[in-house]
Amino acid sequence: MKKIINSPDNYIKEMLEGIYIAHEDDLTCVDGDLQVLVTKHKKEGKVGIVTGGGSGHLPLFLGYVGKGMIDGCAVGDVFQSPSVDQAIALTREADSGAGVLYIYGNYNGDIFTFRPAADEVEMEDDIETAEVLGADDVASAGPSAPGEKSTRRGVAGIFFVYKCAGAAADKMLSLDEVKRVAEKANNNVRTMGVALTPCTVPRVGKPSFEIEDDEMEIGMGIHGEPGIRRGKLEPADQIVDEMLEKIVADLPYENGDEVAVLVNGLGATPLDEQYIVTRRINQVLEEKGIKVYKYYVGEYATAIEMAGFSISLLKLDDELKECIDHPVDTPFFKQV
Amino acid sequence: METSYLITLLKEISDIMAENKEKLIAMDGIVGDGDLGLTMTDGFKAAYDAVADGAVTDAGKLLFAAGKAMANKVPSTMGSLMATGLKQAGKDLKGKETLEDADIAQIFASYEAGVAKLGGAKVGDKTFIDGIHPAVESLKASLDAGDSLVDMAAKAAAAAEEGFKATTTMLAVHGRAATRGEASRSLEDPGAKVASLIMQAFEKSVQ
Repeated sequence: MKKIINSPDNYIKEMLEGIYIAHEDDLTCVDGDLQVLVTKHKKEGKVGIVTGGGSGHLPLFLGYVGKGMIDGCAVGDVFQSPSVDQAIALTREADSGAGVLYIYGNYNGDIFTFRPAADEVEMEDDIETAEVLGADDVASAGPSAPGEKSTRRGVAGIFFVYKCAGAAADKMLSLDEVKRVAEKANNNVRTMGVALTPCTVPRVGKPSFEIEDDEMEIGMGIHGEPGIRRGKLEPADQIVDEMLEKIVADLPYENGDEVAVLVNGLGATPLDEQYIVTRRINQVLEEKGIKVYKYYVGEYATAIEMAGFSISLLKLDDELKECIDHPVDTPFFKQV
Repeated sequence: METSYLITLLKEISDIMAENKEKLIAMDGIVGDGDLGLTMTDGFKAAYDAVADGAVTDAGKLLFAAGKAMANKVPSTMGSLMATGLKQAGKDLKGKETLEDADIAQIFASYEAGVAKLGGAKVGDKTFIDGIHPAVESLKASLDAGDSLVDMAAKAAAAAEEGFKATTTMLAVHGRAATRGEASRSLEDPGAKVASLIMQAFEKSVQ
């Protein structure tokens, strides 16, 4: 394991201490618990949006706590869910009378954190809550039947759900309306990733899986969950073509649609390569008659130091376009 | 009925789990990690202990407090699921200081709903739901038929036991048992057994 750390056991604590130092004007913790972060710019009467999950995905999740996006976040150890009590403390802090929307990825550990927390604040504090579960990874499972619980994992596409729900909440819409917008974004976003190298959880000390130097795995999850195809590394264009084919067919995205595109580095893939990917995405979407309204390129949801990237598409209508255009000011993401 | 009945009910559930601890450990050892007997015994004891003094008389708050104590004591998957059932019943009975037969039936309907919501299991997935669901259906039918509470409980317990036995025809889709695929089919589901035990405890609690 080759990491710039002091000790694996202090990894999360020292990372968070650094976060609070660098962003002390914008972020604060709840009840002295560094793992429960809220914005210092709480807007009274606004629907609170909170999230959470394991550490190791920065800027996800805590990096999106701020103006125009989400209000708070509880993070666990690397790839581990936060506790129910942390989620409860977070919800109480994020509520300002208009209720709280939970937006988190579709992982059992996180479901078992946030649903009991919701039960508790509804029972004891009369805080109204709702939830939207990110489930955008088309490689993780087949589509679910209408009304059925999705078995897909939530990955980078949750950024778009935060973005749209955050805009709706910032416009002072009601909890039901913010939830509706979040669900609309969630239902219209699809993602697929590719991994070139594994990542190492500091306290584990060795890579989460093995992959040969000349191999890639298409569809791998952001904790190293198995993908859909492992093979020899191919040119960027070919990789993009394969991923986009799966993504576009899934919703499907059709000729005449407008989309926002997120090209997301998984931690160790340079921006140069991400822009090589972006170039090809644009060619392919142009061929298909799919118009790109806006690109986001960079690290938005990582898997520690995994090399690879993901592509997310969000199909837009006028309402979601307005949400995409809404200004945001958070520690890790700003849009004027 | 006084809400102190709920303490009796929790005591019976706690006792029946303790009596069946080894049985549950053995069943879970075949399809899971074998700790179910401990989780259920410790969890329902914690639930009962939290409310045994009778200080809380609001039925909803009592059940919620019991569920919370259980969740804190046994934060495993099955522990969380069983605790959430109690908490859901608590949310749905909030404010009640006395209990009608319909409220008693509601406890189990809420319990099923809470577990299903958190765990995402459906009828036929070979889980706890396959034991509790027939019991909840039986309770509804009994209410409509005007059965006595004793008869309601006896029929519900029988329905849960039948539901449990029927899990030997189902393919597991959740948890470790699911990794066995077709080989899981002939195995009894320990979660459904827990449901059957809860309904047996209910039957005893009204005698």
